[in-house]
Amino acid sequence: MTGTVEALINLMMADQVAIPLLDPILNILYGIPLLGHLLALILWKPLFAALICPGFATLGGLLMLLPWIERKLVARIQWRIGPHEILPQMGGVIQLLADSLRFLFQEVIVHRDAKQPYFLQFPVLSFIPALLPLLFIPAGTIIAIESPYGAQIVLAMVTLFPLFILGLGWASNSRFAYIGTVREAFVYFGYEIALIVSAFAMIVLYGTSDPLAISGMQQVPGIILNPVAALAFFIASAMATSRLPFEIPEADQELAGGPHVEYSGILFGLIYVISYEKVYILSGLMTLLFLGGGSGPEIRVLGDLSGLIWFILKTLLVMIALIALRAIYPRYRLDQALRIGWNPVFTLSTIAVGVSLMEVLLL
Amino acid sequence: MNDEKNRNIDILRTGPFSWLKRWSARWSLWPCHFVTSCCGVELAHASGCGYDMERLGTLTMGISRQTNTIIVEGTITRKMARALRIVWEQMPDPKFVNVIGACGQRGGIFWNSYHITHPHTIVPVDFFVPGCPVTPEALIRGVRALQKKIEGEDRDTIRFKKANLQFKERKKNMPPTSPKLLAPTPLIRNDIPGGVGWEDGDELVEMVRSRLKGLTASITVTDERRITIRTREDEIKEIAKRLSEIGFDHVKSVNLVDVPHEKKLILEYVISGYSKSLMPILITLTADIRGKYDLPGLSDIWQSADYTERELQDLFGVRFEGNSWNEIFMLAPDTPQSPLRKSFRLEEEEYILKDGVPLTPHIDPPSDLNAPLPSGVLEEVEEMGEYLVLVGPHHTGSGHMRWIMRLDGDIITEIIPDPGYVHRSMEKIAESRLYIQNIPLFERLCIVDPVNMNLGYVRAIERALKVDVPERAAYIRTMMAELSRIGCFIYDAGIFSLFMGHSTGFMYLWAIREMLLETFLRITGSRCSPSFILPGGVRRDVGDDLLDLIGNLTTAILPRFKKFEDIFVRNPVLLARVKGVGVLSRDEAVRYGIVGPFLRASGVEYDIRKIEPYDAYDSLGWEMITADDGDSLVRFLVRLEEMRESLGIVSQCVDVLKGMRKGDVISEEILGDYQEGSRDIRGSLYRVYGNLVLPRGEWTVLTEAARGTLLFSIMSDGESNVPYRVRVITPSWMNLRGLIEAARGERMADFWAIYGSFGYFPPEADR
Repeated sequence: MTGTVEALINLMMADQVAIPLLDPILNILYGIPLLGHLLALILWKPLFAALICPGFATLGGLLMLLPWIERKLVARIQWRIGPHEILPQMGGVIQLLADSLRFLFQEVIVHRDAKQPYFLQFPVLSFIPALLPLLFIPAGTIIAIESPYGAQIVLAMVTLFPLFILGLGWASNSRFAYIGTVREAFVYFGYEIALIVSAFAMIVLYGTSDPLAISGMQQVPGIILNPVAALAFFIASAMATSRLPFEIPEADQELAGGPHVEYSGILFGLIYVISYEKVYILSGLMTLLFLGGGSGPEIRVLGDLSGLIWFILKTLLVMIALIALRAIYPRYRLDQALRIGWNPVFTLSTIAVGVSLMEVLLL
Repeated sequence: MNDEKNRNIDILRTGPFSWLKRWSARWSLWPCHFVTSCCGVELAHASGCGYDMERLGTLTMGISRQTNTIIVEGTITRKMARALRIVWEQMPDPKFVNVIGACGQRGGIFWNSYHITHPHTIVPVDFFVPGCPVTPEALIRGVRALQKKIEGEDRDTIRFKKANLQFKERKKNMPPTSPKLLAPTPLIRNDIPGGVGWEDGDELVEMVRSRLKGLTASITVTDERRITIRTREDEIKEIAKRLSEIGFDHVKSVNLVDVPHEKKLILEYVISGYSKSLMPILITLTADIRGKYDLPGLSDIWQSADYTERELQDLFGVRFEGNSWNEIFMLAPDTPQSPLRKSFRLEEEEYILKDGVPLTPHIDPPSDLNAPLPSGVLEEVEEMGEYLVLVGPHHTGSGHMRWIMRLDGDIITEIIPDPGYVHRSMEKIAESRLYIQNIPLFERLCIVDPVNMNLGYVRAIERALKVDVPERAAYIRTMMAELSRIGCFIYDAGIFSLFMGHSTGFMYLWAIREMLLETFLRITGSRCSPSFILPGGVRRDVGDDLLDLIGNLTTAILPRFKKFEDIFVRNPVLLARVKGVGVLSRDEAVRYGIVGPFLRASGVEYDIRKIEPYDAYDSLGWEMITADDGDSLVRFLVRLEEMRESLGIVSQCVDVLKGMRKGDVISEEILGDYQEGSRDIRGSLYRVYGNLVLPRGEWTVLTEAARGTLLFSIMSDGESNVPYRVRVITPSWMNLRGLIEAARGERMADFWAIYGSFGYFPPEADR
């Protein structure tokens, strides 16, 4: 019995997040019986990845921050201030906290015509495809589950996402939700192939789909090696995350929110947050494939955290780029978006595969 | 109602974490997108970039389920009451209601309307904000007050002290009372000869007479370019057919006048033609109807009469033969039957204080909160394998009305409009008020284009009184009207860009509109409801400092507008969305009775400012903008170019006014004994205008408002000092039919591209 615990602790200690800067403090803390074990558990790389970064804690923090960044950024572009009065000293940064608490304390209405069990389940269930991909995305060298097929698994999870949106739209049983759901399904067909093919182009280029290996291989970032794939991937991500100009399923002015039109209270809060989660995951994937993941000038004292910080910064950059689209573009019509997805973007992604093959063969 | 009212606060005050509940509710007051009346314009300004209500954490959200505040913007009509109640019931607890605008409290300017109701009888109200319309500052203060109420400070209203006003010379300071003079059995005529000195008139009358040979028709020239053809009810159809063959291709107005003491209804069709030779001429085709309510309808000859006939069916309880619509169109089901007949009397005004509080007019809350679908639609839709989508009135992209959309897949097969949600019954109210009191009333037709609405009504009075406007006043009026036109275009373009999902374009334009309204505020004292134009002139002179301000405004708008053009008009996504969408050919546009810039976008050269110039338009240099494509993009671009022309007109007016000697701004004939008011009417307004009586007859005037031809037709009996009947046909009302037809066969998402390009404004249409 003690042997197994010992073995487990040794296993954990062998794979700790190394932070040279904090080493003296950590060494003291390790010595304290229970706290030390707990700390060792949390700093165990797989668990650290799942719980802290890029997992739960970072996700939570970004979700609290991202809508605020969006509202502030869009407000700046639009000659406004945006959320402010709630905490004037810090530009209203806790605005989303108030919003989410308000959702939490508000009544959840399940209307008579809704298919009740599904109506309640789907917003919660849709967290599964939203959370699982995070286990396969490395922040620097920190990753929860190492797999040679990491990139494919993330893509598979991401493309699973619309099914849950379809589910909650269908369970709502309302005209606007219905139209929004159908539109979601159409747009899904529009971007899915381009997204996968452009990611496939990068996998061909790197010759591996192991996320750690991919980020290790990018001395020159992927966006320079294959800019065509990056462009196709970015446009497909904008479609996948329903950002303008492809905000077609939600289309506030046409469908008043589309699939989630009937949701209220905390259930709507969940859905509201999920769309940002998707932005986070796709931005993470884009960082991994095209921006070199956690690579960057290494800050030695931070050890493993150095890669993590670079990863977060790059992801944030991509997220902001996706968000800023809102302030620049009007909305395409459904058929136009489909045409764009099938024609230029799909062509781009196919060309990207060709570019990758050429580079692999010639270089 | 009280239980409902307290429930929301109780939820916040009780239970664990109540402080957290209160804190979060306070900083996250999301109003739902539910525009009920014209104060919605100022709500848009409050959330626009000038005032930015989002600072307080309020974010206007699409639908009631995800929000917790209703901001009731002004008038709640009996039809809208149902929507208000449903929205309130759909909203999750805890929820709050702010009512803004005077008409949400006691009825405001529409206090004796037959079609409004008090919002506090429909839903529990947390806070009232007065004003007509409220300013954005007041609105934001209302939100602040609501926040404080949630926090627990129960009342944050200003505590009014009872002031003890003592007038030393009481009689002199009180406005002279103008009791209404109502002739008991007035003589109502609409074919009184007049209009001497119209050269081409005789020729035209001869031509018409020869075409109508063999039919009963007495042809009278009532005024310059106004002809009345009186006929018998059974021959009106034949005459209409022959007139339509000459080239009279559209109906400008359909009117009914109830004359109970002669036991008749007067039916009027005001028709005109878009061919060059017929352009400014209006023919009033009229017949007396006695003892029956089945009238001959002409909508099969002129489709542009269709919706107006439907409206009159509601208002007079009549039935037009040949009109396909048999049901209620404008009014709520429980409105008094045929309210515009003279037998239905409105409450008379009484300024009685009871315990220091003015008596609230009595209004029954609606008993029937039903808004039925047209019968047979559901069955028909099912049979055809289509489906129905009901858009509005609570919808981000519906405006203040309901669109019953029949969809086949993504294609719109038909849209059935359901207007009347903002029908404030102005035509009936106008019959109960003095001529001068109606000026602010008719301004509320469309508070984004107030000066042109004002001008339309005032010009009808001037035409009746044959009063000329002093030159300086004419230039001021032109300048104000053009500023209003610019403001209206900017409003419509902002809403258009919002409909296209482009909130940045909306915000950029709202910044410009904010400057414009500030200018209005400085000139007239009001942002949206200036009431600046009076019969015979304007209220007061515009000084040189204000002229400088206006001059600067015209130069300041352009660079800012260029930013909007860069981000919105030249945006490839926008071009893809609107090009070739909702095309109306010239013939279709004429047939469906489109007016204004939207008609010009389809290739008809018709602008009242050119063909029947009024005020100073003929002495200024400007171009009429036309185009041929007739799609959404061109409709938008035509108005955009017109805005540039308007800016040119304004700066020309400023130059002329600066060079002109200061002088009278109100005509001497009107002022009579009170010549001291010639430069500033303040102090003698009521003495001059209180007892205005128009000569007997009907006076129809066309004005080019921002969205097209505005028709005001005043019928006076020559004895009363209130109008006998006022007929208003607003451009939005005429454009409704065209909008519906343009959307047929397009994709569902295109409806908003078409709606936005028409600048359709339901309060203007519903009147």
